[in-house]
Order: sequence, then C-alpha cells, then structure tokens
Amino acid sequence: MSDRPPGSSLGDSLVQDWAGPGELPPSDWGRPKGPRRTATVWLFALFITAMAAGNLWLSDRFTHEAFLAWATIFTAISLQALPFLVFGVALSAALTAFVPASFYRRVIPRNPVAAVPVAGLSGMVLPGCECASVPVAGGLMKRGIAPAAALTFLLAAPAINPVVLIATAVAFPGQPEVWIARLVASLGAAVVIGWIWARFGKSDWIRPPRAPHDPDAPKLRVFRDSMVHDLVHAGGFLVVGALAAATLNVAIPREWITGLADLPVVSVLVTAALAILLSICSEADAFVAASLNPFPPTALLAFMVVGPMVDIKLIALQAGTFGWGFVRRFVPLTLLVTLLSTFLIGALIL
Amino acid sequence: MNRIAQGLVLVLLGAAALGSSAFSELYLNYVQGAFRPFLIAAGAVLVLLGALVVAADLRAASRGEEGEEGHDCQGHDHHGGPRVAWLLVLPAVAVFVVAPPALGAYTAAASGAAAAPDSSRVDLSEYREDPFAEAGDGPVELQLQEFVSRAWTDEERSMSGRTIELTGFVVPHPEGEDEGWYLARLQMACCAADAVVNRVLITGEPAPETDSWWTVRGTWDEPEGDLQSVRDHRFTVEEMREVENPPDPYE
Repeated sequence: MSDRPPGSSLGDSLVQDWAGPGELPPSDWGRPKGPRRTATVWLFALFITAMAAGNLWLSDRFTHEAFLAWATIFTAISLQALPFLVFGVALSAALTAFVPASFYRRVIPRNPVAAVPVAGLSGMVLPGCECASVPVAGGLMKRGIAPAAALTFLLAAPAINPVVLIATAVAFPGQPEVWIARLVASLGAAVVIGWIWARFGKSDWIRPPRAPHDPDAPKLRVFRDSMVHDLVHAGGFLVVGALAAATLNVAIPREWITGLADLPVVSVLVTAALAILLSICSEADAFVAASLNPFPPTALLAFMVVGPMVDIKLIALQAGTFGWGFVRRFVPLTLLVTLLSTFLIGALIL
Repeated sequence: MNRIAQGLVLVLLGAAALGSSAFSELYLNYVQGAFRPFLIAAGAVLVLLGALVVAADLRAASRGEEGEEGHDCQGHDHHGGPRVAWLLVLPAVAVFVVAPPALGAYTAAASGAAAAPDSSRVDLSEYREDPFAEAGDGPVELQLQEFVSRAWTDEERSMSGRTIELTGFVVPHPEGEDEGWYLARLQMACCAADAVVNRVLITGEPAPETDSWWTVRGTWDEPEGDLQSVRDHRFTVEEMREVENPPDPYE
C-alpha cells in the first residue's frame, strides 16, 4: 500500500490548506467556494488516474504473501461491513427525517430506568451487525431518546437479533443451551449497562449530535444530508478498525492461543481478548467460536458475548459517532459488565 | 473535507463495492457468495448518494451560492467531514489496485492444525443424510470440512474402505517435503476474517506446486485408536488431477 497513502494525505493537506477550519472565516460569510470545488475535482481526477495506472502496472507486482493475506482480510472486513453500515445509516436517517419526534415519546417510556429494558428487547428486531446499530443509536439520541436507552439498544441489537441467534444455534447443533446462554448473558449485560449509564452517566460525555434540523427543510434533503453525515463520520473509523483487525488477524498465531485453553479463568479472558482484537461480525462469530473447540464452554460464551459489544472496529465506530470522551468511559464499563455476565451465566447454564 | 470531496469519496467507495460484486467475481475472494445482492445494493446506494451530493453542490455553485449547507453552521462540524473520512478511499484502492486474491496456503500454514471437535457438538447429518448410501459402490465426493468432521467424530467409521474424492489447494509441510504435504480448504462463515482451515495429510505422492488446486481420489487411512486423539488425518491417494480455477475458493 506504500504507493497509496500519499494520495489520501496529499488530499488531506491540500484541502486543509484551502479549507482549514482555523483559517476559513465562518461559512455564512458567503465567500465563493469556486476555486476549492475545482481543486477538489482535479484532485479526484488525478487520484482516479493514479488508481487506473496502478491497476495496470502494479496489481501483478504484489507478491508478498503476508501482505496479500492482510489485504484480503482488510478488504473482506470492509466489504462485509459496508452493506450493514449503509443499511444502518439509511435507517437512522429515516428515523431522523420521516418519523416525528412525538412517536418516540409515545413508544419509549420517558423514565430512563423503564426505557432501558424496552430498548434492550427491541434490539431483538433489528437484523444487523454492530456496524448498523451504532448509527441507529445515534439517530435515536438525536430524536430525544434517553442516551442510556439508546446505548442499551446499541449493545443488544447486534448480540441478540434473530439472525445471530439462529447462526448460533446452527454453529452449536444439539446444544440449545448455548444460544439461550448467549441471549440471556447479552441482554442482561446490555440492560445492566443501560441502568448504570442512566444512574451515573453525564450528558456531556457524549459528543452532542448535530443541531436539530430546520423543520421546514424538505424531508428528502434531511434524509440525504443525515446519511452523508453519518457515513463520512462513521465510515472513516470503520476503515481504521478494519486496518487494525486485519493486522492482528494476520499477526496472532492461532496455535499460540489454543495453548492457553486449559487454564480456567485465563481461557475466558483470552477468548474475550481475541473477540475484541479480531472484530468478527456478530453474525459470524458463533462459527468461529465453534472452531475454538479446545476452550471450555464459558470461554466460548465470552467470545460471543464480548465480541458484539466491544471490539476494535466497534470502538472506532463509536469514537467516530460519539467522540473519544464517550469511548473512554463506555468501553471499560461494557467490558467489565459483559465479563461478569459471562461468568455468571456460564456457571448457571453451561 | 468539503462537500464535493465527501460526495466523490462515497462514489469511489460505492464503485469499489459495485466493481467487485456486480461486474466481477472478485467478491468471492472476500465474502460469502450469498452476500452479492447486499453488496450490489450498498454500492448502488453509495454511488447514487455521492452523485446527488456532488450535483447539489455544483448546482449551488452555478447559482453563485455558498452551498445549500449554510443553514446549520452552528453544528460541531461546519459540514466539513472529519479528516479520517479520507480513509474511505482505501477499500477502493484495495479492490482496484491490489485486488487481493483469496486466502490460501500462507494462511493455512500460519493457522496450523485444528483440534478435534467435541463429538457431541457435531451433527454430521447437517451435511447430507448418508452420502455413502447415495453413492452406491462408486466414489463419494466429500467437502474437506465434512471429511474432517467425520474423521474426528464418526465413531461408526462409515468412511472406512470407501473411495473418496476431495478438492483443495496444496500446502507444504512445515518440516519439509519428506513429511508429505497437505490438501487444505478454508471454511468461511461470513467473510475471510473468520476463515478456518480443514486439511488432510498426504504422504504417498510428491508435493505439487504450493497453492495449486487438485482433486484427489483415494481412501481414508483409518487410525488405530481413538479418533479424537488424531492430529493429522491421513489420506492415501490413488489418482489425482489438477483443477483449473475452482469456482468458489472457500467452502
């Protein structure tokens, strides 16, 4: 990739020179943007030409096997997440543009303590992975839902939706206790985290969502702007997460990990760490958990409970949507509660 | 990142999704075949959305306006996208410039041997009711993952003595050619990041070129003792032929 990042950083610095937020007067000065537009279009024309040239001359030159394996996994994670991200962003934009705010006030209880379990259970109806739930939770907050309830939904939806539960049942045939344990442990953790956030969370920990839209703006324009806003904010971080996850996927030798399978508590922490680092989509993680068969059942449960709620890709997405101040507090809390929930439910059910 | 750049980045990203799914089979290297319609839909939405943003911005420019986004500049981002959004061009670079191939021998060798699954957790009938009865006396074609599951968990040993056909790619033995070579296949649930290796050890034949694809016909070397304690499943080859471009690299 050594030939590529210059393209992006060049673009960055070029546009930064023209449009650095520090140098540019407020946009309502009405200064013409003509030269900047032209420069951007030229920049992209050059970039596309460079990609076409790269396609012709470079694509056969990549022969380093570790690099190619890394590139394959990066591309796979990016492409696999993309439809879910687009779907989540579209749903979030539709919630913002077409559903009146009064609807939520009627459906979701005003009191956060009562709203949290409702939000957790409604996570069972959104068939997507974690990439879809982050923008939807952001959209819910914009519409005035209590952050604690929106966050419970964010955690519950990728972990307990029907697609994930069916995938789990398929990956562990003849063992209904596995998907039941997953459902109970995930829902329990999501609701407890929501309650903790409702009790102790402060609203300024979450980066304020964009100011409410002009109520007179055409709905389609609100929809379009909201989609673009969420895509450029969350999408870049999704790529960061995919880069990190692909690197760790290639770098961690699996044999080295399975050597730790026999240690009682450590094995659970190891699978939890693996779930965080590998960032596998929640709809596929049950199959990977099934392949980690030297590990005890509680450790496999940890892989499936922690993964959909805390992983590198998700942390990057949350940082892009809610800011680092939020991530710094929310991620350790989530990790702690999901681990406790795993140990408890693992001991009770598995 | 200004408005027009945001639109163009989305168009590029959508083009990468469309280019790898609608106009080529490249996506099979990365995700499940069933994922194609979702990739096409996501790509189309991104291209359309990006084009709309660019068109709206250019229209605003031709009217001599500052752009239609002037109305809510009190937001946190002043309608500039964050700089990290430039990274969205990386998937396009990966698809169009690198076009990485499916995972193969490198990954299979790096991930090493799998361990035996707990036989109570494996349901062999998920593959087929009874492939051996269906095939009569002829050779039985098995997926590598089914062969490996049976070799580890089928206590009735229904593969014993049967002629079996397997297809996969060649992985060299880490301790050199004298130890034999592996015929391997990656099993994928969702995308290449979750690929798991299934492999059989072949010793009777010289190792073909690494990463070349072969269909081998032969028999399972039944282990003497406990199936679960086996580390490498061995296979005796009677006949093998090279496969040109297997349609889907993963099982």
